[in-house]
Formats: sequence, structure tokens, C-alpha cells
Amino acid sequence: MLRGTKIVRTILNAAIFVFLEVAALNMLSSSQSAHNFFLAKYSHAFMGKVWGMTQGVRYYASLRKVNDALSEENFYLRLRLLSRGDEAAATGSGEDLLTAAEIGSFRYSPATIVKVGRTGQRNYVIIGSGSEDGVLPQSGIITPNGVVGIVDAVGKHYSYAISFMNAEVNVSARLGREGAVGPMVWDGKRTHGALLKEIPLQFKFQPGDTVFTSGHSSIFPSDIPLGIVGTSRIVNGATYEITVDLFQDMAALRYVTLVTNMGQREIEDLERQEEEGMKDKKK
Amino acid sequence: MLGRADFIIKYLILALIQMLLCNYANFSPYLTLSILPVMVLCIPTKANTTWAMLIAFVTALAIDFLAGGVIGLNALALVPVALIRRPVCDSIFDKELAVRGDDFSIRKYGMPKVVFAIFLVQTLFLLIYVTADGGVQRPFSFSLVRFALSLVAGVLLSIPAAAVLTPDDRV
Repeated sequence: MLRGTKIVRTILNAAIFVFLEVAALNMLSSSQSAHNFFLAKYSHAFMGKVWGMTQGVRYYASLRKVNDALSEENFYLRLRLLSRGDEAAATGSGEDLLTAAEIGSFRYSPATIVKVGRTGQRNYVIIGSGSEDGVLPQSGIITPNGVVGIVDAVGKHYSYAISFMNAEVNVSARLGREGAVGPMVWDGKRTHGALLKEIPLQFKFQPGDTVFTSGHSSIFPSDIPLGIVGTSRIVNGATYEITVDLFQDMAALRYVTLVTNMGQREIEDLERQEEEGMKDKKK
Repeated sequence: MLGRADFIIKYLILALIQMLLCNYANFSPYLTLSILPVMVLCIPTKANTTWAMLIAFVTALAIDFLAGGVIGLNALALVPVALIRRPVCDSIFDKELAVRGDDFSIRKYGMPKVVFAIFLVQTLFLLIYVTADGGVQRPFSFSLVRFALSLVAGVLLSIPAAAVLTPDDRV
């Protein structure tokens, strides 16, 4: 009798163990669904409000440094506008740009990062804008110095984004203005380090060359400067793997720009149609 | 009864400390600080393995939701700790510990045995955690250094947590 009870308990424990592990693994592997779950949206708001408050104190302490950087950036932006002959924009207040602006097929809007999660290899950021501010899932997050992440789940007032500092994120990047294109991933170690992979051996480059977004993805526009080329090594005798020193230090983030591809839905529809067409052909 | 309430309060406070660690202890990508394994190890032996696994799952999920940001990661690594909690206690401390409804403490069994138990549960937790958290995408050497550093720091951090959760006069 006692032995029977023990066997039943062991089987029950094994069943519960398997169930809980599968549940955890499922949540982990389908991160987007998990973060779009209604409870997760409350947790994003909690993290943004509670943990973001303390980060706000830290930002406040470094406000002078931020102001200096913004002033410098403002100066160079005005110089660029003047060099293009757009004097009215260069001397204007730019109030019309405070909400959003559309350039080409991309819509740009300002946002503030309220929480940066840097606990391991799957990092995230929470931005203080949500669906009420017009944020859409799969929007890119950029700064003048590079790419920050991709919006994954959108709540009413906050949005959860997968950081570039995430083992599962890669950004299509190009060597120079017209060089080779390859996926760029976080190196996993530094807050300003990345690896540009799969660059064919015939392409020549020098340490110090600039790396830009390629524009091959539907999330980020092309020609955003990302960083400069560092050292390189040949992988499997076939391609280069290049270390990139990012311009944007991911540990110092506050003000960002959300970039939404207005034609993204159309592109996804086309891709879906193409996939369905391929399946039909196979049948 | 007072002992159970006492344990629950301390357990919740340590869960809060773990949330603070998740948010503010971002010293290096090589370092993951967690006291969750020792919290599960110290669950009173009166709670059987099923209950321990459920407590571990709920605790880890709460941390994932409210502080960790990666839903399922802590839960995946912590449930196996709850599964091996009884066998670890039986083999290191006393086989009759659970039968008597008794709990281990540093004074009763000595620091080396408690540290060894913490080492075992922390090892299991970190093996799963580091593997699930980008272990496949990163070079093995990186994951190995991360595992080793996190293990040393985790064991050191867990000793005071164990002392808090397993006082000698617990009812």
C-alpha cells in the first residue's frame, strides 16, 4: 500500500514537473505571445512605473551631460539643414516635429525609454509610449547613433521592446555606403560591442570604416550609422566576422525615436501570399 | 503556525530582494545573481515536492513578470531545483529529515554541508539558466565563464539568505 502510494506520488511529481517545464519553455520560446498576454501588459506598466522611477532619478543626476550632448546634436542638425539650404527649418522651433514626422515610407516619432533591462543575454527596454501614442508592434527604435531595439508588445501607455542587446536579434547592416551586407548581432559582452557576420571574403574593408543599416529589413530605414569596424576574423574559410564598436552605448539610453514602416503590413501581406503560393505549388 | 507565517514573510522579502537584484545588479553580462535556488531549497520539508515545484514556479514567474522581463526564464530553471530539493536534503543532511518534519539549519548541520547543498542547487539552476539565456548563440567559453562567476557569486549571496530562512528556532 505504502509502495503504491509512493509510485503514484512519483508519477504525479513527474507529470507536474513536465507540465511546468513545458509551460515555462513555451512562454520563453513564444516571447511575443507571452508579452502580448494581458497580464504581461500590466507587468510592463508596473516595471515602467516602479523600476523606471528609480532610473529616472539616475537620469536626473546625469541631466547636465545629457543636455550638453543634446545641444551638440542640435547644433550639428541645424548645420546639416543649413547646408541643404533649408534655412527656415534650421532656424525654426521644430514644434511641428514634436509629435511625428513622415519621411518616405517611414513614420518617425519621439519616445522616452523608462526602463532598460540588462540582466543577461535577452535584454529588453520599456518605452513610455503605447497604443494611445500611436505605437505599433514591430516598430524600430533608433537614436542618431544607432539601433536600439524592436517593439514587441504594445500596451496603452507603455511598450515592451526587445533590445539590440539580445542574443536573438540581428540587424541587417552594410559596410560603408555601398559595401557588403550582413547580419549584425550584439557581441554579448559589451554595451557598445557588436559582430557583423557573413561578409564575403572578396569585400575589402579597413578598421575604422563605418557600418550603416542596410535598409534590407522592413523595420529600420537605411543609412543609420551604427558603428565602426574593429578587428576581423575568417569563419570556416568562407566569410568574415567583424567586430563593430557601436556609436550608441546601450547603457546610456534615454531619448529615442520610434520608426514605423507604413508599408510594413503590405510587405507582410505580400510575403504571406508568396509563402501560400509556394505551399500550393508543393501540393 | 507562527513559524509558517514567519517563513512566508521572510520568503516574500527575499523575493523582493531578488527583484531588486534583477533590476540594479547589472554589473556584467558574465554575472547573473540569483538567490532563488536557495529560497526553494529552504522551503520547509513539510511541503512536499509537488508543492515545492508549484511554489518555485509561481515565485519565478512573479520575478519574470515584475522584474526579469524574460517570461519563463527563471521558471524554467527553478522548477528542477524544487524537484531535487528533497533528494539533496536527504543525501546531504539527514535521510529522516522530511519524515521527522524537521528543517536544516547552519548551526544544526554546519556551514560546509549547507554550502554544499547550496552549491548543488545553484549549479543546477545556473546550468539551465545560462543555457536558456543565449547559451546556444554564444561561444562555449563565454557561457562557461558566466556560469563559473555566477556560481561563486550566487553561493556567497545565498549563505546569508539561507541563514535568514532557516533559523535554528523555527517552529
